[in-house]
Amino acid sequence: MEEKYFEISSENLKKFVDGMITDNYEVIAPTDKDGDTFYGKISRFEEANLDILLPKMSYKEYLLPKTETIFEYSISGVDTDIKDGLQSIAGANEKRVIFGGRPCDAGAGPIMEKVFNWDYKDEFFNERFKNLTIISIACEKPDNYCFCTEMQLSPESSYGSDVLLKKSGDKYFAIVTGEKGLNLIKKYSDLFTETTKDKVPADKDWKKIFEIEKTKSFLDKNFEHNYFQERFLSCIGCGVCTYTCPTCHCFDIQDEGNLKEGRRIRNWDSCQFGIFTLHTSGHNPRVTQGDRYRQRLMHKFKIYSEKFDKYLCVGCGRCSRNCPEDIDIKEVAKNLAEMA
Amino acid sequence: MANTKTDEKLQKIAKDLLESGEVNLIIGYTKGSNPQRMRPVFITKPEEVEKLSFSHNAVQDLAVFLKKQEVKKYGKIGITVKGCDEKAVNTLIQEYQLSRDNIKIIGMQCNGVIKQNLADKGETKVSETTVYDKCLVCQEHTPVLYDFLVETEEPELSLSGSVKPYAEIEKLEAMSTEEKNAYWAKEFDKCIKCYACRQACPLCFCSRCIVEKNMPQWIDTNSEEPGNAQWNMIRAYHLSGRCIGCGECERACPVNIPLMLINEKMARDVYNLFGYKSGLDINAKPVFGVFSESDFNDFIK
Repeated sequence: MEEKYFEISSENLKKFVDGMITDNYEVIAPTDKDGDTFYGKISRFEEANLDILLPKMSYKEYLLPKTETIFEYSISGVDTDIKDGLQSIAGANEKRVIFGGRPCDAGAGPIMEKVFNWDYKDEFFNERFKNLTIISIACEKPDNYCFCTEMQLSPESSYGSDVLLKKSGDKYFAIVTGEKGLNLIKKYSDLFTETTKDKVPADKDWKKIFEIEKTKSFLDKNFEHNYFQERFLSCIGCGVCTYTCPTCHCFDIQDEGNLKEGRRIRNWDSCQFGIFTLHTSGHNPRVTQGDRYRQRLMHKFKIYSEKFDKYLCVGCGRCSRNCPEDIDIKEVAKNLAEMA
Repeated sequence: MANTKTDEKLQKIAKDLLESGEVNLIIGYTKGSNPQRMRPVFITKPEEVEKLSFSHNAVQDLAVFLKKQEVKKYGKIGITVKGCDEKAVNTLIQEYQLSRDNIKIIGMQCNGVIKQNLADKGETKVSETTVYDKCLVCQEHTPVLYDFLVETEEPELSLSGSVKPYAEIEKLEAMSTEEKNAYWAKEFDKCIKCYACRQACPLCFCSRCIVEKNMPQWIDTNSEEPGNAQWNMIRAYHLSGRCIGCGECERACPVNIPLMLINEKMARDVYNLFGYKSGLDINAKPVFGVFSESDFNDFIK
């Protein structure tokens, strides 16, 4: 489908969101809680914090839950009953809308979708991904940790959003990228006015401060460079970077249960943990935290792009903002580009 | 930003220590990714000491690095510590994780550090509403043990008493068991099992954590209740009588679980029951490592 363009007043945007909530959509938006802003279910438009740049965590959990049940079993006498986890999530996200996220977060979905449909089609991810509707709002003021422009997106990019809203005075322009977004908007068509592309304000000329291709070219040639060991001596391996990242998707499959009942689950995991690569023999190919942080950089800026033609990073800057030891990935990527 | 007098004193001490060969490494703070942030820095050469700095944004507890293999290999180490963090160094010595002979403690007088989420929003003033709760109850603005002391230029933190540190604890104590369970179930439900609390803790030094042991699987691996409570409670118990209240676990937690309520409550209970405060004396026996006939035992029915 070709992009379609609409206008909606601020007043009608509120009616749109409240309307969806009345119609039993689960609207997930940035909302203030526990002293910060997180994505969470809202029960009316006012609960959404649309002034915040980015919530502390991404909304990855709606595509890849922190714990997902793959199957459950129960044994009674000689009978074994197995329940496929996929059945219990059928239609998940059909009535779920992420509202008020940013273009970086929206970009993460289609990037992750590539690895989940590579050699093996991950039905769990796909079931959630195909149904989730994403209405993002373009950023007007990125902060110093943001680098989406360097990561081939931009504060106004519609990549991954079903609808991208761009504020203009007291109204918004809605860029609708596909059927999913269009079908939703059609249900509230009295609130939107169709317009044409030329009426939508042009994107600003966002400047880059480094070239990610140069970062990659450094990584291509410098696996053993001292930079990694020296710079990441201050990494404590907490994994907050990976857990708050919208594109980090590593998981660990575990069995929990006993002779009567149990389940197989997959949990979020992190390459920043020493145990992540620990072999049964006791050998660990990634001994130091420098080795582990290098792996994160390699995966994001080299390996993934070679395999899937996309960098595994949307430049949201969460890993930098949330790092307890103030490791700034934008600064690191820039340093590497400068050394290339 | 220019060097403050504090920075100059700190740099001089570090330079002397490195030049004389008394230490091979200085762990300190340097300016971070924005003017309101500081970050850890590792100095091995005397000419690099200019990087060292200190301010009310020095939130990290650098003692966490003393448990790291990559850092341990430097042998003799100098460390920049605030009073709260210094208690972690003492506990590591007390628990035979560190030799007093191998550590030079550069104690930084401190009148409080600004909460990082406020600093990130531009807060620059140290006051009772901007610092961490640990600063409001701090008894060690001057570290209890040090080889060198760098005095502060910051004004003393004035306390009006209108901000009650750890106010939730009293509310929790007044709750019924069911209410407490409901409170913590709601908090632990947020847990994503990233174990950042453990990694950020200077005293979580087990080479293999209980959650990494799976024969048997002591703690459920899922990030749901009650598995999350299992993890958070076992960590609380492992830290009771040991936690020195630096608050790094809570600061690192990406989902804002109020972990310091647990730690502070445990510390208060240990003090009330055993008259013991952790991290104050390197020669004291760890409270749960000794038995005294005067220990209360009325819990044995």
